Formats: sequence, structure tokens, C-alpha cells
Amino acid sequence: MQKPVVLLANEGFVTDGRSAASSKGMPGLRIVSESVPCECTIEADAEAGIVPVMEQIIDGLVQPLTAEEQSPTSKERVNPSRIIFKGDFAETNRFFYKSGWGDGLPLVPPTEEAVQEMLTGTDLRPDHIVGTVQPRLGKATVEKIAVNAVMAGALPTHMPVLIAGVEHLLDPLTRFGTFSMSTGSWSPFWVVNGPIRNDIHVNSSSGSMSPGNIANAAIGRAMGLIIKNLGGIRKGVEDMGVIGNPGKYSMVLGENEERSPWVPLHVDEGFDKDDSALSLIFPNCFTQTWPYTSDDKGILRSIIYNIKPVGGLCCFVIPPAHANTLAQKGWTKEMVRQYIVEFARSPAYRHHSFYDTNNALVRPGNAPLSAMDTVAAITDPNYARIVVAGGPGTFMGLVFSAAFPGARWVTKKIAVPANWKKLVSKYRSLVPTYERY
Amino acid sequence: MNERSTFEVLSPWAQADPIPLMGISPRLEDLAAKKIGLFYNFKRASALMLSAVEQELKKRYPSIITSWYRFSGVNIPEIETNNSDKFKEWVKGVDGVVLAVGD
Repeated sequence: MQKPVVLLANEGFVTDGRSAASSKGMPGLRIVSESVPCECTIEADAEAGIVPVMEQIIDGLVQPLTAEEQSPTSKERVNPSRIIFKGDFAETNRFFYKSGWGDGLPLVPPTEEAVQEMLTGTDLRPDHIVGTVQPRLGKATVEKIAVNAVMAGALPTHMPVLIAGVEHLLDPLTRFGTFSMSTGSWSPFWVVNGPIRNDIHVNSSSGSMSPGNIANAAIGRAMGLIIKNLGGIRKGVEDMGVIGNPGKYSMVLGENEERSPWVPLHVDEGFDKDDSALSLIFPNCFTQTWPYTSDDKGILRSIIYNIKPVGGLCCFVIPPAHANTLAQKGWTKEMVRQYIVEFARSPAYRHHSFYDTNNALVRPGNAPLSAMDTVAAITDPNYARIVVAGGPGTFMGLVFSAAFPGARWVTKKIAVPANWKKLVSKYRSLVPTYERY
Repeated sequence: MNERSTFEVLSPWAQADPIPLMGISPRLEDLAAKKIGLFYNFKRASALMLSAVEQELKKRYPSIITSWYRFSGVNIPEIETNNSDKFKEWVKGVDGVVLAVGD
């Protein structure tokens, strides 16, 4: 089925297109750079961007192949030596930054000694390959995971979470490749459940999503470095997020299981309460709202009236006080979820797809008759999850992702090494103590 | 950490096996009377762009025929979706393809 193909790419996406073509083994794909505004809906603008490049499009289909296009020479794959640099702290950091391996913050130098210590957090051999991470198909060996974990400031006790995190990236149901490279700037949002939360001090109480706890900060940061250095997803090259997202530094939350009246998320997902588990979706924003009144009705009204009508995967982070108010009034977590899905509705005119040329709302059997007809804010009940977390106070978190086809909430078990108790005892006392003033 | 200490550090960059490279398909000699496939995705600009391409091609080559195909997924090769057979049939029926993804 050999057919000549020309790809049209907006001038800002040509590098991305070349990278994608190379990662599929076809570096010579002919790409015509055009200036049509991204996701343009105006016919005249599309024409104005296409007409000037028509000759290039035609040439792309008829100009004979060059020798290189016919038979591309093997692109040298950068397989660096294991020891990559020797220098002081600042030199090492500059080298890593200039090599494109950092995230802009200072990195802990991944020395042999530090990496060996990190590897005590797993029973897997350093050369064990957890998988190959797209798009570059970098081999996620346990040692490479450990190197990036050291750089992020993680502890050896975080290794089991990071290995589970890499397993998430390999699972097609997370749609990691789509979310991580999309213009929508989706960031991984990790929820940690089970006994490991307390073993490694994942904050699930006041300010769970704020900086200040090693586990919440370093696990997300390490996963960001792993996505970059193992998957090869670089900002502005493969990661085409338009605005970007501070959540890509770290967005890690523990569920406050001890103060929740309900079963935790991982039990809903089929795991035992004593299992440790990691869940993942890729939101690009979250908002915080407080109950209109402090009873169950006020809590739920505040949630349903503040949902962004995007129809995708979402998470409602409810602090323990509100969860207990709801439970005391007889609300189970499933009832809350069903209520939100049924009553979180908004007028069709608030949905972007009502206006789209590829109008997802206006389909036979699904068409709102007028812009004022209400449609569901969450299009699939299975998209929504409720997590109890946060400290005292009234604010709740509403976390919004998208409805990319096939994307699902994914939860995976976290496997700890045989020496876990001993390992935990070694790092357990590493907690901040705030002086009183 | 002493900033003056010297560190010998390990590479964080993953090893990767070389990807087998493929050449691109031979080109057409001319577009006259050819059937050109217009392949677009869910992004709004893609169909508009290809409409402009279609219009311009037909101006230059009145005998040209076009055939449209809408990519059904998001970042999943069409050949790996349930529409694989339909897609293969479509490709078989065209002489060349212009592809737009809206960005």
C-alpha cells in the first residue's frame, strides 16, 4: 500500500511532526509548513494559509525522491555511556540543563553512591526493563528510574511508587502519549492509596497538593523527569502544551483514608484495603470551591454548579469534614457520584462542541434542540471519581481532564520490596518539624 | 552538600534500540486525472485546510478526483483501530494522500 503522502503542519508544529515521523521510522516524511491558525474555524483563514504553499504540496506529491528519502541512513541513536559527566554541583547542574535533561530546578547529582542507595527501594535488578516509554521508546530500566529519582530528590522508599508510575505510562488506557504531548498541557495527577501513604508520608491532609512534603513533591517531579528522559518528551518538541501546566512539576495527593467515612479509591477499583495503589488521570486544570451552605445540599450544589462542562475524566477532592457531613446524611460515595453525573448540567451554549464544525453534541439522537437545552457536564459516569483529602476548612477541589477516546482512570498496585519495614524505618523520621512562633 | 565536591554522575537519558527506518513511497509523475486522498482528523482546521487544498488542486488539475477520509481516533494509528479494513480499502483506492491534522 505504498502511496505518496504529504503532511500539512502549522509552522509551529513542523519540529513536532518531524519528531513523530522519526519515532515511527519514517524521518523523510514530506511535511509542508503552513500558516493556517491552529484549530482554525474560518474558511477564509484556512484558504489564506494554504494557497501560498500549494506548489509545495504539489511538489511533495510529484518531486522524485532523493537518495536519502528513498533509503534513509540510520539516525544515530544517542545511547550515552553510563557515567556521563564529572564536575562540581553547579557544573553538573549546568551540564544536565544544557543537555535538556532537567526541569529548570536544581537537580541532585545522580552519583553511583546515590543511585545505589535509591536502588535499595526495590527488589528488581537494576537492568530489569519495566518497559519502553513512548514516543522515543526509551528503555525504562530500574537503574534509569533510580537515576531520575535521585535527581528529583526522591527517597529510596519512593521507588515502588515510581515503578508503578512507569507501569501507568505503559498502560494504553491512561492515554499517556496523547495527554503528555497534547496542546492541552495535561499533567499527570497521581493519587496514592493504602499503607504506603503513611510509610512514606504522602500528605493527604492540609495542603496536600502544595509544596512542602518530600513524597508529594519528589514523586511527581521524578515522574516528570522520567517522562522527559525515558520517554523523550521535550517541551516544544514533543510536548506541544500551549500554555503549559505547573502541575507537570508535581501533582501528587494521598487519600485521607483514616478520616474518610467511605472506602478509599483503590478499594473502589477492586484492590484490598491493605494494598497500596497508585491512580492516574491527566487533568489540565482544577478549581476550588466551597459549599453554598454547610449541609449536604450546599456541598453538592457547589460541586455541580462549578463543574467545567468538558465532559471528561474528573476527580472531586472532598475534605473529610464534608465527606462526613454527606455520609451522616446517608450519602454513599456512589450516590454522590451518580448525583453529580445526573445533575451537573449546563446549557448547550456553554459546550465548545455545540459550536464545533465536528459537532459532537449535534448528532442524531443527541442533538440539543436549542442552545438553552441542558446537557450533561460529565458524559460518562465512569469518568468521575471521588477522593477524600485535605485538611480542616471548607474548600473542595474539582479536577478536570478530557474525554480522549479510550482514556480511563487507571489504578495499579504498588509492590514493595521484601525489606520494606527496615527501609521505611530508615527514612521514616525524615519529616519537617515546624518551630513555634 | 558541599558545592565544591566533585561528582561523577550517571546519565538519566534512556537507551533505546534503533528504530528500523523506512524510505517514503515513490512519488507520482503528474497529478492529472489522479485520485488524491484527503485525510483529516478531529481538529477543526483540518477539514477546512483540505477543502482549500481540494479547491486549489481542482483549479490546477480539473481532471483530479478527491476522496475524503476522517481519522477516527486520537493519536492511535488508524490501522490499529476498528476501522482498519475500511482505511486499507480507502488507501488502496487513492493515488496519493494529503494529510492535515489541524495544527
